Amino acid sequence: LLILRYISNEFLTGFCLALFPLVYWTKQSYDVFGFFFLVGYSAVALNHVVDFKEKKQEIAKPVSPSELFPSLPIVQGTSKQLKVLTRLTLVVSDPSHCNLLRSTSSNIRLYDIIAVFPKTEKLFHIACTTLDVDLVCINVTEKLPFYFRRPPVNMAIDRGIYFELLYTPAIKDSTMRRYTISNAISLMQICKGKNIVLSSAAERPLELRGPYDVANLGLLFGLSESEAKAAVSTNCRATILHGETRKSACGVVYTVKKLRKVEEEETLPACKKAKTQA
Amino acid sequence: MAPPPAAFERRVLRNAAGHHYLRVRLELPDGGARPSAAQLKQLVVAALRELHGEVGAALPVDVLTYEEKTLSAILRVVSSGFVKLWSALTLLGFYQNRRCAFRVLQVGRMASPNVSSCCVIAWLGEHVAS
Repeated sequence: LLILRYISNEFLTGFCLALFPLVYWTKQSYDVFGFFFLVGYSAVALNHVVDFKEKKQEIAKPVSPSELFPSLPIVQGTSKQLKVLTRLTLVVSDPSHCNLLRSTSSNIRLYDIIAVFPKTEKLFHIACTTLDVDLVCINVTEKLPFYFRRPPVNMAIDRGIYFELLYTPAIKDSTMRRYTISNAISLMQICKGKNIVLSSAAERPLELRGPYDVANLGLLFGLSESEAKAAVSTNCRATILHGETRKSACGVVYTVKKLRKVEEEETLPACKKAKTQA
Repeated sequence: MAPPPAAFERRVLRNAAGHHYLRVRLELPDGGARPSAAQLKQLVVAALRELHGEVGAALPVDVLTYEEKTLSAILRVVSSGFVKLWSALTLLGFYQNRRCAFRVLQVGRMASPNVSSCCVIAWLGEHVAS
């Protein structure tokens, strides 16, 4: 006696995020986009990578998605269109490169998501604790030059910053596979599976994998089932919202109770001081 | 005498030595030679060996059905090796130096067939007109 039951749509088909590098925009790129929607994603970010090692890198204004796609396909299962966001990835290997993030008038503010790719331990610490970014990319193509330590990772989790792992290099090459898995496992040991985002850097439609396949890869990295599903759906959505709040917030106004006694020093608590520097 | 109305009974068997089923489709965009059923099995075992080594390649995987025209197949694997098989298929990138991709369409589970059990099938994203 077999009772067949269909459990359709029990998994979230909302908000799965995938990366797409905006290096060359060709006719082929449109096919990749068609694939994103076909495989089940509902939000895609176009990535613009800026490497500071090369000289004179100007950060251009982000390409508006409406220019590239006059009509976006509708996500299957819902009636909403595929959401296309712009994203900037900064590859930093020197602390002076981070000054660009602190400048107020630049094209950085126009991007939806800002990610930073630290190359040294010091920069990783700076990115987790002070930099105003949404994602910290973890290198998967080579052996990590530094070990993760608990204090910066915990601070990043408190601040709402997510760690990003790419899976497309693992499809291309077997040495990359080992580096991906080993770096991911060492990250999991420190962060215990929280605040992880899995994304692809697909340049061709064949390098893309469906959201459930990617969630299964999370199991391989050491996440639990719910954490792996969250890494593809809820954490991505949280990153997008983090980017939106970063774009829209311009200052904090607070009131301080004026102390009547003159002898007492009027000292602001340390946390409020940090907020004024937004 | 009319039989008593059938009562709905749900039995959850934990740790039952059962099988997991996967409906997959191999995507080979270039118009080259399509793999036969034996070659597909070889490809799956090679993918397992690449990712999980000899232990992974030794997993009991069966190709239950295979259509060469659409390159879709139904695979069966013991439940303990389900995650390994799925991750190996996901990370497979090349078949005979041609780019390819495995798309997992459906995933199902069945406990040992000599107990009345429920077969759970989940659709994943793409709907295939069967």
